[in-house]
Amino acid sequence: MKILMLGWEYPPHISGGLGTACEGLTTALASRGIEIDFLVPKLFGEEDAPHMQLLGAASAAHTATQAQAPAQEPAGLPARLSRLLAAEPSLATDPIFIAAAEAARAGTPLPGSADVNMIRVPAMLKPYLDQKTYQELIRTGALRESAIPDILASRIGHPLPDPPTGSMRLEHVHLPGVDLSSGEEQSSGAHYGDDLFAEVARYAMSATRRVEGRKYDLIHAHDWMTFPAGVEIARRAGAPLMVHVHSLEYDRAGHGADQNIVSIERLGLEAATRVIAVSYYTRGLINRVHGTSLDKISVVHNGVYTRETVEAYTEQRSSKGPVVLFLGRVTFQKGPEYFVQAAAKVLEHIPDAVFIMAGSGDMLPRMIAMVEELGITDSFRFPGFVRGAELERTFSTADVYVMPSVSEPFGIAPLEAMSYDRPVIVSKQSGVSEVLRNALKVDFWDVDKMASQIVGLLEHPELRRTIIERAREEIRHIHWDAAAETLIPVYETVLSG
Amino acid sequence: MSSVCFYFEVHQPHRVKPYGALQVGRDHEYFDEKLNAEVLRKVANKCYLPANESMLRLIERTDGRFRISYGVTGVVIEQMKLYAPEVLDSFGRLAKTGAVEFVAETYYHSLSALSDLDEFREQIDMQMKLINSEFGQVPRVFRNTELIYNDDIGQFIADQGFDAMLIEGADDVLDWRSPNFVYRAAGRDMKLLAKNYKLSDDIAYRFSNPSWPDYPLSAEKFAGWVHGHSGAGDVINLFMDYETFGEHQWKETGIFDFLEHLPELLFTHPQWDILTPSQVIDRYPALGELPCHRTTSWADEARDISAWQGNAMQQRALAEIYSLGTAIRRRNNSHLLALWRRLQTSDHFYYMATKSASDAEVHDYFSPYEGPYDAFIHYMNVVKDLKLSVLAPAQKQIRL
Repeated sequence: MKILMLGWEYPPHISGGLGTACEGLTTALASRGIEIDFLVPKLFGEEDAPHMQLLGAASAAHTATQAQAPAQEPAGLPARLSRLLAAEPSLATDPIFIAAAEAARAGTPLPGSADVNMIRVPAMLKPYLDQKTYQELIRTGALRESAIPDILASRIGHPLPDPPTGSMRLEHVHLPGVDLSSGEEQSSGAHYGDDLFAEVARYAMSATRRVEGRKYDLIHAHDWMTFPAGVEIARRAGAPLMVHVHSLEYDRAGHGADQNIVSIERLGLEAATRVIAVSYYTRGLINRVHGTSLDKISVVHNGVYTRETVEAYTEQRSSKGPVVLFLGRVTFQKGPEYFVQAAAKVLEHIPDAVFIMAGSGDMLPRMIAMVEELGITDSFRFPGFVRGAELERTFSTADVYVMPSVSEPFGIAPLEAMSYDRPVIVSKQSGVSEVLRNALKVDFWDVDKMASQIVGLLEHPELRRTIIERAREEIRHIHWDAAAETLIPVYETVLSG
Repeated sequence: MSSVCFYFEVHQPHRVKPYGALQVGRDHEYFDEKLNAEVLRKVANKCYLPANESMLRLIERTDGRFRISYGVTGVVIEQMKLYAPEVLDSFGRLAKTGAVEFVAETYYHSLSALSDLDEFREQIDMQMKLINSEFGQVPRVFRNTELIYNDDIGQFIADQGFDAMLIEGADDVLDWRSPNFVYRAAGRDMKLLAKNYKLSDDIAYRFSNPSWPDYPLSAEKFAGWVHGHSGAGDVINLFMDYETFGEHQWKETGIFDFLEHLPELLFTHPQWDILTPSQVIDRYPALGELPCHRTTSWADEARDISAWQGNAMQQRALAEIYSLGTAIRRRNNSHLLALWRRLQTSDHFYYMATKSASDAEVHDYFSPYEGPYDAFIHYMNVVKDLKLSVLAPAQKQIRL
C-alpha cells in the first residue's frame, strides 16, 4: 500500500501537536509495511541566501554570528532574525518566531524511516496560522526576504526523481478569495503576497507538481491547509482522498471563525471518500459545523510516545506553595480565563498556591489584566512560551496540570504531563478525555468544580498518588501502534470500496 | 435429603451529593436526596415490588415449601419509609407467611467490623431492633456487609450469640472442601453457610450474558444442575443481591419467568427441598471447622476487601471517617451520630475503587459519580465539613 500524506509540519520543526501526531502515526504505519511519501511545506527555504550560507558552513557562520552579537542572542540565530529580535524584543516569546528561529537553526536532516520519504515543499505555511498573524509576519519583514525557489525535496531513504518542470494549474480547486485565474505558478524568486490563501493555493500547486507522475493508492491530507493540495492531487491521480481532521477552525476561533478557512475545510470534507477525526468530540463537531454525515467519519484517537515517566525534581521549585500549571497557547481555544477564575476560588482555600500560565497568545494581555483585577497577581507567574529543558522543569515542578480547553479536538499535552507523573484535570470538551480514565474531568465553564478538583488534588496526597500510579500504567496503552491499527482497516475499506 | 437455601440482599445507600471544596463550611446537606429518591422508586418498581409479588405467589402456591431469607439494611428501610412505603408493607406481608427469614447485619451496611468493633456491635443491635419492630423476628443468623469475613469477625459474631453466619465460598478458603456442606467457625460453636458462588453467579451475573456458553439459562437447566449434586452435599447456598430480579437482570431477560418456575422444578426431585438459613443449621450438622485466615467477601474477582480499601484514597477516607468516632459520640447528638454513620456505608468507598477490566465495569455500574477520583473528592469534602462542625468550639458549633 502506497500512501501520499500531506502534512504541514514534522519534527523537529513543530509548533503544535500536529507534527508530533504525524511523526507518531507515520512511524507506526511504516513499521506495519505501509509505504508513505510525506509532503510538508517548508517555512524557510534553505537556499535563501544568507540562510544558506549559514547552513552551508555552519561552524564558520556560527562564529561570525556570535562575533557580531556576542551577548544577547542565542547561538546560531540567522542575522536577519537577530535584527528582528533586537527591534522587537517581545518576539522572543512568540511561538511563531521561536519556531522560525528553530527551523533556521536546525541543520540536521529530518528523521524518517526507510518507508517514509520526506518531501519538503517550500511554502510559508505553519499550523494554526491565521490571516492576521500571517500578514503580521510579512509586515514585520520576518519572511519578506525569504525568496523561496520553485521546489525543494529533501529525502530520506530512496531518492525521489526530480519533479517535472513547467507551470501548474489548479484544475479541480477554487479557493475562496483567491484569484489565480492565470493558473500560472509564480516563477522562482518571486515575492509572496500578503494573503494566506494565495499561499495555500501556491502550496497546492507546488505540491501537485512535486508528485506529478507518481503513483499512490490513497492521498491522506492532514488539516485544512493541505486540503486543496489533497483534492487536486487525488483528482489528477484518480486516487481516493482521505482527510484527517486534527483541529477545526471552529476549535481555534469559535464564532470568530474565518469563513474562508471554513470553506476550505468543507471543500476537503466533501471531496474526501472518508474523513478521519481525532476524537468522537471532533467527529461530532465536524458533523455539526459542516453537516458531514457521521457515517463518513471514522475516529482514530491519537497516541503518545511511551517513554519512561520522569521522576519529579521538586528541589528546583521556586515557590513554597503548591503549583498549578496551565501550559499551552493563551488563546480562546485553550480557555485560559477559566483557569484564572478557578485560581481565584482555589486561593480562598489555599492562599499560598501558585498558578503558572505558561505560553503566549493573543489573550495573554487580557489574562494578565484579569489577574490584576482579581487581585491575585502575586499568586501568578507568566513565564511565556517554554520549551526544551525549561518545559521539562515546568512540568516537573507542578503539582497539578490543568487543560481547561473550550474546544480541544484531542490534546496531547495532558498525556505529556502524565508522563512527568503529574495528575491532570482535562476539560470534557476534549478528545483526550475520551481515552483517559485516570484524570479528573470537568466542563471548561464549571470553574467551581475545576477549583474543587484542584483543591482536592492539592489537599490529598492519597488522591495524587492513586491517580499517578494508575495513570503511569494507562499512558502506556495510549500508543501510536493502536492508532495505526485502527487506521489501517479504514485504509483497506477505502481501497476496497 | 438435600436443600437449597436462598438469601437476598436488599440495600441502597444514602448517596453523597457532588460536594465541592467551595461548599465546605457553608453547606451541611450531604446527601443527594433527589437521586436517592429517584433510585429507590426506580428499583422499587423494577425489582422490589414485582419480585415481592412473585415471592408471595410462590409461597402461597407451594404451601410455604418455597422459603427464602432476606437481609434488608437499615438505610434502605429508612429510604423506603420516605420514598416508597408500599415496599416496606409488602416485605411485612412476606414476613407474615412464615416462609421468610430475616437475617441480621449492620444497620448502616458499614465496614465497622474492620475498623471499630464497638461501632460494629452497636450497628448490629440497631439492626436487630429494627427487624424486630418492622418484621416481628429476632434473627439468629448474621451476614456481614458484602459477606466480609475472617476468623476474628466469626469469633466476634459468635460471641454476640448468633447461631450462624453467611460467608463467601471462596476457593482458597474452602480449599479441598465443598461449599455444599455446613461448617463451623474457627474456635467457636457457630455454623457457617458458604455461598456456592458458581451457581449463585450463574443467576446473578451470567443469566443474560449471550456470550456465556450456557445462555439462555432456563429454570429446567438450572434445576438439573442443582439435582446433579444429589448425594454430594447437604445444602446449596444461593446468595445474591435482590436487585438481580428486574434491576441487574431486566424483566426482558426473562428473570421473573425463571424465578416463577424454579421452585416447582426443584421439587420434582423427591430428595430436594428449600429451607431458610435457620432451618438449614437446625437440620444439618457442621462437617468440621472452616478456618479463614484472610478477609473474604463476595466482591470482585479477588473476593477480598480490595473493593473498599484497595487504594490509598479509600484507606485515607476510611481512616478519616472512623477517626471522628470519639468526638461524635461526645457530642451526644443523635442527628450528628446518624450523619456520621450514614457516611460509613460501604458503598461510598466502593465508588472510590480503581479497579481494572471487568471489576471496573461493575463498580462503574453502581457509581453515581464520574469516577473514583470525583467520588473521593466529594466524600472528603463532606467529611471535612462534618469534622469542622463537630470539632469547632461549642459556641461556634453549627446545628447540622
